[in-house]
Amino acid sequence: MADRDSGHEAVNRERLAQFVRSRISRRSVLKSTAGLAAAGAVGGSFVPIRRAAAAPRLSPASVAAARLALQQGADSAAAAVAAANALDPKPEVLNVVWEDGLQLEDPTNFFGPRWEELTGIRVNPIGKPFTELFSSQVAEKLGGTGAYDVLTLVPAWTADFVAQGLMEPLGPYIEQYQPDLDDYHPLYRELMNYSGEIYGLFDDGDTIILYYRTDLFEDAANKEAFQAQHGRDLAPPTTWEEYDQIQAFFTEQGGGETWGGASQRAPGQVYGWFSEEFRNRGGRFFDEATMDATLASDAGIETLTRMVASNRTMPPGVETWGFVEVLTAWMSGQLAMIGGTWPPIARWSEGTTAEQLAWVPETTVAGNVGYSVMPLGHSLHNSGFSLAVSADSPSKEAAYLLIHWLTSPEISLQRVMLPYALRDPYRLSHYASEEYRSRWATAGAYLDTLKSAADGALIDLVLPGSAEYQTAMDQAVTAAQAGTPVEQALAEGNAAFDAVSDRIGREAQKAAYAQFLALKGSYYS
Amino acid sequence: MTTSIPLEGQPVVSPRGLGWSARRRRDGWLMVAPAVLLILALGVYPLISSLVLSFRRWDLQSHETPFIGIANYAEAVADARHWGSWANTLAIVVSAVSLELLLGFGLALLLLGDFRGKRLLLPLLMLPVMMVPVVVGLTWRMLWDNQYGPINHLLGLVAGRDVNIVWLAHRDTALAAMVVTDVWQWTPFMLLVLLAGLTGVNPELYEAASLDGAGWWASLRDISLPGIAPVVAVAVLFRALDAFKLFDLVFMFTQGGPGTSTESISWYIYQLGFRFFRLGYASAVSYVAVVILTVVATVYVARFLREIPE
Repeated sequence: MADRDSGHEAVNRERLAQFVRSRISRRSVLKSTAGLAAAGAVGGSFVPIRRAAAAPRLSPASVAAARLALQQGADSAAAAVAAANALDPKPEVLNVVWEDGLQLEDPTNFFGPRWEELTGIRVNPIGKPFTELFSSQVAEKLGGTGAYDVLTLVPAWTADFVAQGLMEPLGPYIEQYQPDLDDYHPLYRELMNYSGEIYGLFDDGDTIILYYRTDLFEDAANKEAFQAQHGRDLAPPTTWEEYDQIQAFFTEQGGGETWGGASQRAPGQVYGWFSEEFRNRGGRFFDEATMDATLASDAGIETLTRMVASNRTMPPGVETWGFVEVLTAWMSGQLAMIGGTWPPIARWSEGTTAEQLAWVPETTVAGNVGYSVMPLGHSLHNSGFSLAVSADSPSKEAAYLLIHWLTSPEISLQRVMLPYALRDPYRLSHYASEEYRSRWATAGAYLDTLKSAADGALIDLVLPGSAEYQTAMDQAVTAAQAGTPVEQALAEGNAAFDAVSDRIGREAQKAAYAQFLALKGSYYS
Repeated sequence: MTTSIPLEGQPVVSPRGLGWSARRRRDGWLMVAPAVLLILALGVYPLISSLVLSFRRWDLQSHETPFIGIANYAEAVADARHWGSWANTLAIVVSAVSLELLLGFGLALLLLGDFRGKRLLLPLLMLPVMMVPVVVGLTWRMLWDNQYGPINHLLGLVAGRDVNIVWLAHRDTALAAMVVTDVWQWTPFMLLVLLAGLTGVNPELYEAASLDGAGWWASLRDISLPGIAPVVAVAVLFRALDAFKLFDLVFMFTQGGPGTSTESISWYIYQLGFRFFRLGYASAVSYVAVVILTVVATVYVARFLREIPE
């Protein structure tokens, strides 16, 4: 590699010398310019990506400080602070990639100032829209800028991030600093592993649950009418067929002003809803032996057919609804149920956030919200962030100590209770927290539902090329919603899946898929 | 001590050793160096780099970037989604630019004469052109909203009943929405260019035509249109090339959906390159676009611009 580099440098130097020696003419300028650019392009573009160095040299003073703090009864967060203060040299700043918008409030207003106060190390939050988080971090890696110290990823990206060497393996750090891994919910603890290595500390329990209006469900007239119509009690649905019945019931009652339910159906978001129900019905993404895609199975057809039919009793235009549209309709009391969405809606529904979130519609449903695991029993853990140390960071140990501190039981509990930061419970101590359970009347039921949902949650596909697979799934669903026959849409989804697998290599994907199958939450049947 | 006097034709050597012509060359290089470096860094280097890249397999999932010849180009030729994005782009460009030309020309004729408030009206009409495309997309996305958007409301008033068209959830209506939005934003550009063209037509020609008994239509057909033909040709070329880069409206309206039915070529390349990091293939698709557009533009220029009499 060094020889190749020096060879290119020599060529470039010689061309530069010729360039300078030559007479100035338009032709020679153009020729030389093109030559230089070509040399630079050929020589400079394709530096093979190296894997991160295996064994970091940790600061003995920091490790000793952390151990001493723990021996003296300090908690994990305090130990991380002691270790950071013992770093020599101590970095002035840590550049932290974070989702922007609401999520950015956490580093900006909460943990950033606190970490700086405790350690003297400034946190520089670099906000990126969710849709650009993946690409911007990969692009920085390819550019070799070393601009980031702490990376943000969702588990589905792990395979691609590891393939490109973006993340520092955390094994040695964890061995020395002992974060409280046993306190993680087992689902999330397992999501931190990839290929037998831990690359990130999990930080956001994004398991989807169903929300329903208890006042409407407990209304005597509604109960009686529903019983008369369907011959069973009006209760939170346990199957999608029950869900559709309840949704249709309330939609009919609403007369075009209110509806029985809504789910996120917009391009880019709807794949999760398909992925969950599909696997609950016994569907599998691939044939393990051949890696042929199997979306167009009976489970796939049944799922997508029902989803398209269900849209008819959701608000008109639900095909374009994302998280915010569902939230807005729910908060204004237009929906009897949300057919699954992320956890923060519970906090906002209770009006705990009015002072922080000007853009969240004022709640009209406070005190009337019930929670349930999704129909068919297995909710989807959709997205959910992990924090990782950039392999190119010049301050890896400090970066690790920051994410150790952030995800520690003590600090993370405060962060998952923040009304504005969108982090959600993921540690066993979060679910059990008396402080959290006393936040509003039904907060205990909310936390219990989140834990139950996580206990049996399905996880997003963790595989090289996961973004492409997800997009293909998404496109199959949105095509069917727009009128493409379900069988055809799923066949096209299969073809797109197969094209990705063929390009990356079926054997390699087979091995990666076997790892996915070994994860808790890949499938339950 | 000897004194040498330079002979004619020999370089004058300064006390520091550089001749006048050498200093001139050096100074010349110093002066053009910033521009050359800028062109190298921002223009030539990415162009050549991406061309080289288009002959390699460069995927996110692999550490290797092997040379694969024209395989990326072969895949692009056989890629139905690629040509689907071309079809969508062409449909939008042809519809939008045609409408912008007709409306822009009509408005230019209206604004040709002097009237009160013209100085105020023209800048107001130019406002859409000055807006950031993403802001336009966001604003119009709200206008197209089936439930709360004023477009359905206005259509309802005209139809005398509730209208609930989900504009952005179906290919045809979503493409129509993109065309209308593009026409709203870019018709003023056509108006401005065509108005400048019309203003430049010699008024004596109209007077002469009037004396010969020519009416409004005859003057328009035989004087105005031939007079501004080069301007029309250039305006259409500029607008069409710009419209081919359509990205913002797809991003804000549909994300290419439902399915892949509203993808434009720019959106597809963005997906390939910056979402899936298939940089080799994305480069090849980009070069296919560059080649096609260059050929079309060259033919267009040859056909419409070179044949226009001076």
